[in-house]
Amino acid sequence: MSALLEVKGLRTAFETRAGSVCAVDGVDVEVHQGECLGIVGESGSGKSVTFASVMGLVRAPGRITAGEIHFDGRDLRKLSRKELRAVRGRDIAMTMQDALTALNPALTIGVQLAEVLEAHDETLPKGRKARARAIRERSVEMLGLVGIPSAGSRLSQYPHEFSGGMRQRIMIAIALACRPKLLIADEPTTALDVTIQAQVLELISDIRAKLGMSVVLITHDLGVVAEHCDRVMVMYAGQVVEEGPTAEVIGSPSHPYTRGLLGSIPRLSLRGQPIHPIEGQVPDLIDLPPQCRFYSRCAERTDACLTPIPVRQVGPHRKARCIIAGEDTE
Amino acid sequence: MGLGKFLERVLQLVPVLLGVSVIVFIMIALTPGDPVQIMIGDQAITPEQEAALRRDLGLDRPMYERFFLFVGNAVQGDFGQSFYHRRPVSEVIAERLPATIELSLVALLIALFTSIPLGVLAAIRKNSIFDRIATVISLLGVSLPGFWFGILLLMLFAVHLNILPVAGRIGYSSEIEPITHFLLIDTLLRGRPDAFLDALSHIILPAVTLGLPMTAILMRVTRSSMLEVLQQDYVTFAEAKGLSRRRVLFRHALKNALIPTVSVAAIETGSLLGGNMIVETVFGWPGLGRLVVESIFLRNYPLVQAAVLLYAVTYVLLNFFADILYTVLNPKVKL
Amino acid sequence: MTNVADMSRPPETIFQQNLGNFMRNRLAVASSAVVILFILLAIFAPLIAPHDPNATDLFRRLQPPAWVEGGEWSYLLGCDQLGRDILSRIIYGARISIFIGAAVILVATTIGIIAGLSAGYLRGWVDVVISRIVDILLGFPYLIFAIGLMAMMGPGLINIILALAYKEWVIPCRVVRGETLATRELEYIEAARALGASRRHIMVKEILPNILSPVIVVSTIRMAHVIILEASLSFLGLGVQPPTASWGSMVSDGRAFILESWWVSTFPGLAILLLVLAINVAGQGLRDAFDPRFHE
Repeated sequence: MSALLEVKGLRTAFETRAGSVCAVDGVDVEVHQGECLGIVGESGSGKSVTFASVMGLVRAPGRITAGEIHFDGRDLRKLSRKELRAVRGRDIAMTMQDALTALNPALTIGVQLAEVLEAHDETLPKGRKARARAIRERSVEMLGLVGIPSAGSRLSQYPHEFSGGMRQRIMIAIALACRPKLLIADEPTTALDVTIQAQVLELISDIRAKLGMSVVLITHDLGVVAEHCDRVMVMYAGQVVEEGPTAEVIGSPSHPYTRGLLGSIPRLSLRGQPIHPIEGQVPDLIDLPPQCRFYSRCAERTDACLTPIPVRQVGPHRKARCIIAGEDTE
Repeated sequence: MGLGKFLERVLQLVPVLLGVSVIVFIMIALTPGDPVQIMIGDQAITPEQEAALRRDLGLDRPMYERFFLFVGNAVQGDFGQSFYHRRPVSEVIAERLPATIELSLVALLIALFTSIPLGVLAAIRKNSIFDRIATVISLLGVSLPGFWFGILLLMLFAVHLNILPVAGRIGYSSEIEPITHFLLIDTLLRGRPDAFLDALSHIILPAVTLGLPMTAILMRVTRSSMLEVLQQDYVTFAEAKGLSRRRVLFRHALKNALIPTVSVAAIETGSLLGGNMIVETVFGWPGLGRLVVESIFLRNYPLVQAAVLLYAVTYVLLNFFADILYTVLNPKVKL
Repeated sequence: MTNVADMSRPPETIFQQNLGNFMRNRLAVASSAVVILFILLAIFAPLIAPHDPNATDLFRRLQPPAWVEGGEWSYLLGCDQLGRDILSRIIYGARISIFIGAAVILVATTIGIIAGLSAGYLRGWVDVVISRIVDILLGFPYLIFAIGLMAMMGPGLINIILALAYKEWVIPCRVVRGETLATRELEYIEAARALGASRRHIMVKEILPNILSPVIVVSTIRMAHVIILEASLSFLGLGVQPPTASWGSMVSDGRAFILESWWVSTFPGLAILLLVLAINVAGQGLRDAFDPRFHE
């Protein structure tokens, strides 16, 4: 069965004063029907830009310079702007990290919900009154779905009148209003308290089960991925460095970076023992040398790593961009 | 905003208005030349008449008493007699005020209707030819001396091309009985489209000259504000929803982007008051600005005093209004 | 192990970086050259001007520029209604505009810095008083205040400078006060206080050097505005008095002759435009160069 979303060789670059920065450098992604894919990486790894590119939201000075993006059988890069707008919000939806800035402070949430319905929903009646009523009904329904009580009276309120957790739910409600096939959740929990985080993630899982939706969870938090994602993809410096079923990748990571990430998580079971952060820093993305990008921070590097490293199959469903992966025994 | 805060702001106005009146009073009081002498001019009067005049004008009282007299009268609209016109100052000013207000309003409208679309377009098409033209206009707008630009326009349109008049507010043949004293409105109300066009042709050059600096400033403010708004997350989210470009622009971006524009416009309207004097002089516009300049040369100080006070008070009120406007419009402060 | 940092160049100071940014902006550099050109014209006016700016010659009354029929190349830009060479008067006029502009800005900035530092650092009643004065002065449209003062003091060079400076100082004052308020909470100020530095020492030696950048940028841009104001005052007849040539009064002189002799008003105004434009572009370049957002 072909994947719902297939990205091949995506390259997105930004022109800056200092030169061209390739934020996404040759990335392949596959998202299958009904699955939850986790994307893990630190800031600057290219994880957000990858999916902004998929949705066509990359603006100057950035642009997609290479690659294919196939969604539901269609090549998104070949679509006109109008056609792409029809896909956005209806078939693919996105939520952003901070709901406070993502929601327009000057518009009521009712208006912001209604907008997406007006833009995409063909099933709405044509007459003004009937249409307005239908939109209101659907809005209340969506807010109920995300767990906001007495939604009817709250449609006329402004974003700043809600708590952080509720705003996130509202954002999710807006994203899901047209029952998209794919939800891209960009750092859905980063701006929230720990307790709310769990609620929001539960919510996403529930809805995913109900609607049969595919989800891409972009995060830097491995714990989130471990709990909610079927597969995980690790990104570093604009490239995919590891990919596979969550349990396997977390259980026995292949790439030294992944291992470093897992090793640096403080754990109660290891209380009293030193934490091992990954030494060094992410390389400057301008003028990268043609070699493994993790080289300068890798404890297991060899001279053979000074050439461009391709992605290799290291297991039945697992890939890693490392020469020595799969050869080590833990 | 809450009534309490509003009143607080209003109260803050009082010391400023007071200070302004003090300064205006001192400025005139310290002007060289004896006002009585100026009033008398060449007439021969007896010393008793002179002393009586002095008493009438309150010139024999101490400074602070004169000040309170001044403020007291001013609040009632009494600014004394104009030396030159031999009529109450308030009357003379009231006559010329509509011309100035009309000119300023038209200039303001021109500025708004030019700068906002240009500013928005420059922001949307950043670094395009549009943007560069907008930048050039902005720079020219603040670098062109108003008096010179006005003369240049006159040379081009009135002299060379001969399609627009040289001076004045309206031609003789188009004179009408005033209703509102705003010619552009009155000519229409009186059913005289030919007079309307005539009035329009007279007002267009001075209004453009007056409005140019403001256009330049507003365009820059709109452009940078729009650029900032376009970077905001809620614009990206709106795009992610698949909304049409127009919707994103007008509903989400513009509303927020125009807030700084509107408040700067309110503040800059005050500077239109200053520019009035120059433009009215260049174009022979029969307004308050030109009256003030003439009065200075004629040493007609009561009028100058009244006009300066009027300008200053208007300016302070405009700034106050701009302040309130900004607070009201800013959604984040809407708590 | 080793980082990817490039250690081949010695680190630049922020100032050097900013200067580098400025130099890379060709337009700004070109404008600065124009400004310097005008300054040189002003300083060396007696050597450069082809004729005595006040020498009247009624035979040459309203003589057109050299390239128009009836003109002479030795009177390049033509003559005014008294037969005086316009080019020479423009060159000498540069002295007035630049001198007044610079003087006003210097005076205003000095007062503004003193007032702003005091208000921003000492706070308390000093701040209240100064802020009130600033508010009141801001309550006047610029030109009206200047005109009022000129009416009061009478025309004359010193009076113009004073009249314009009276209102101008509030602008650097506001900038300085804002910057001082922001800076005074920083740690190195606390450190200086802990070391027992006097208030004056802190204000002058610690805070002042760090807030100079924005003040310089603002002052440069304001100078352009002041030059236009002086020209406007002269145009209205309230500025420098004849026979001294000020660009503004030259434009005013030419008003009566716009029907036939367009050059009398045009060229002086063009001079104003060029100088002010150059200052604005250069000032803009300065602002962009010193803008911390441009540092990678």
